[in-house]
Amino acid sequence: MAISVLESLRVGLTDIAMRKVRSIVTILGIVLGVMCIMVVLAILAGMNKSTMSWMGERGGLSKVEIGFNWQYDFKKGGEAKLNLAELRTIKSLIPEARAFNPNISSWDARLRYRDKEYSAQCFGVYPDMQIVDNWFPDKGRFISDIDLRESSNVIVLGSSVAKEIFGNHNPLGKKVFLKNQVMEVIGVLSEKYWEQHGGGGMWGRNALEYMNQRSFIPLSTMMTKISPGSKVDQLEILAYSPEEALALQKKLRPIMLHIKDGKEVFRVSSAQEDMLEMQKNAQIFSAIFIMIAAISLLVGGIVIMNIMLASIKERTREIGVRLAIGARRWDIFMQFMVQTVLITSLGGVFGLVFGYLILDMVGKYLQMPMTANSNMIFSALGVSVGIGLIFGIAPAARAGNLDPVVALREE
Amino acid sequence: MEIIKTQSLIKDYLLGKVKVRALDGIDLIIETGEFVAIMGPSGSGKSTLMHIIGCLDSPTGGEYYLDGDLVSNLPKRALAGIRNRKIGFVFQSFNLLPHFNILKNVELPLMYGGMSFSKRKRRAEEVLESVGLSDRLKHRPNELSGGQRQRVAIARAIVNKPSILLADEPTGNLDSQAGGDILEIFSELHAAGNTVIMVTHDPNVAARADRIIQIRDGLIYHGDLSA
Repeated sequence: MAISVLESLRVGLTDIAMRKVRSIVTILGIVLGVMCIMVVLAILAGMNKSTMSWMGERGGLSKVEIGFNWQYDFKKGGEAKLNLAELRTIKSLIPEARAFNPNISSWDARLRYRDKEYSAQCFGVYPDMQIVDNWFPDKGRFISDIDLRESSNVIVLGSSVAKEIFGNHNPLGKKVFLKNQVMEVIGVLSEKYWEQHGGGGMWGRNALEYMNQRSFIPLSTMMTKISPGSKVDQLEILAYSPEEALALQKKLRPIMLHIKDGKEVFRVSSAQEDMLEMQKNAQIFSAIFIMIAAISLLVGGIVIMNIMLASIKERTREIGVRLAIGARRWDIFMQFMVQTVLITSLGGVFGLVFGYLILDMVGKYLQMPMTANSNMIFSALGVSVGIGLIFGIAPAARAGNLDPVVALREE
Repeated sequence: MEIIKTQSLIKDYLLGKVKVRALDGIDLIIETGEFVAIMGPSGSGKSTLMHIIGCLDSPTGGEYYLDGDLVSNLPKRALAGIRNRKIGFVFQSFNLLPHFNILKNVELPLMYGGMSFSKRKRRAEEVLESVGLSDRLKHRPNELSGGQRQRVAIARAIVNKPSILLADEPTGNLDSQAGGDILEIFSELHAAGNTVIMVTHDPNVAARADRIIQIRDGLIYHGDLSA
């Protein structure tokens, strides 16, 4: 009967304990490889999770946005603004769009109610904003087509604005001052919330808190009363599906160019395109890490194989003695096999630990949820055991095939 | 009863491309309970003979019966089991594993024999006590004197209750005092009924044995020793 794996394990552990420094050096490649695998898995998982929820929270993948093009050199002339006539043209050219929300933002919009003042970013919008941003009132109603047509003095507050000004009182029907205009509060929007990972940006843990600090009025009211002469600087369009959004984006680019006399003052972007881009980046990123992982593991495996071969050469006499006192070839093979796998598994465990620490750092850096999961633990340990098995065979076989007479003669 | 019987035992080696005959037809019978010394100058083939008797090597030709079983044509894999059960080796340079304490060293053959952890610990302690080392169980080999190390090696050789005890120059690395002690242990083991085969070139050591077998040029030499 051959000695059990348990005995081989005992022998292997003793060997490793006796050669601590060598064992640690040996596993570096495996540690690095496993770390890389963990990072890849975490990034892929985190990327999918966070982009999907983030995009969903912000109105989904069917959204097309037209806004200021930071890459355009405005010295060449042109202005990234749209007037009502231009907006009407655009809208008439894209009947397939589901929702259409041009908007203007004003930063100096101070809200006053009795003795309270609140500096909220105020947006002039279309009623379609609700659909585009998937954001509806909790209390009251949103801006209607009639409000838009009549340039009514109505205002819808973000949840934080309402809380700040009215506390627990019902804001509906209250009159607030916006600049010199008296506006009636007709609604309060639901709270936008998206938990930010890696803890606390400007708005604490809620990454979308900035949205709750906004207030909304009809676009027409903004253009005529609050900020007369202002023009639209941002246009959000919602398609019926992410695929249609891509088509719409493609269609809108020449339209925007044509409207602005061939000047690329606007950037036409879609969430779907951004996400595909992100996914592509994630894939490239992962591919790089997988390459690093593969190379580290390969190099690590070769290093282990060589160190094991050297160790066996050094221990030839010991192997001879073991053979003389009754060890079978299989026992010797198993002793070194188990030892190699133990060392690589140890590398896997260290890789997991260091990978976990790195994940935290990478997660904080990318502001992305990066958590270890059982998947990672299994694949990391599986890979390290696999490396041990693959690169352990040659040394173990060499040890097992030693001729006892020759081995005993070795000094 | 014959514990060892060889018939026209032949062993050839390849030294580069040259075939060297180390054993040239050895006919040998050793009875159970004998204390035999094998002597011969270096290159005579005595080590080769010992390796074959100890099942570390197989002969090129001839037959070898151990304990009544023909083992000369067994595959090498099967020899390991025979070594474990029937042979106890004592080497000139002790050959203890330096990183294990002496208890573990003595347990090794039992481990390879498949004995359970607690049983083999008890058995190893017992045997180490019989060679007078029960107070050194946790010591490593390099913390012991040469004589003590060889006693550990003897304990390891007999822990499995082998049919024969094979010793290769067991006193070669010891001073005469320690060597004498070791030979005393072999004599005791022999007196207790064990078969002891000792390879040596020291006539004083060989004198301890019941019988001396001289090897010359791969053959048993029956002539006058003083010649």
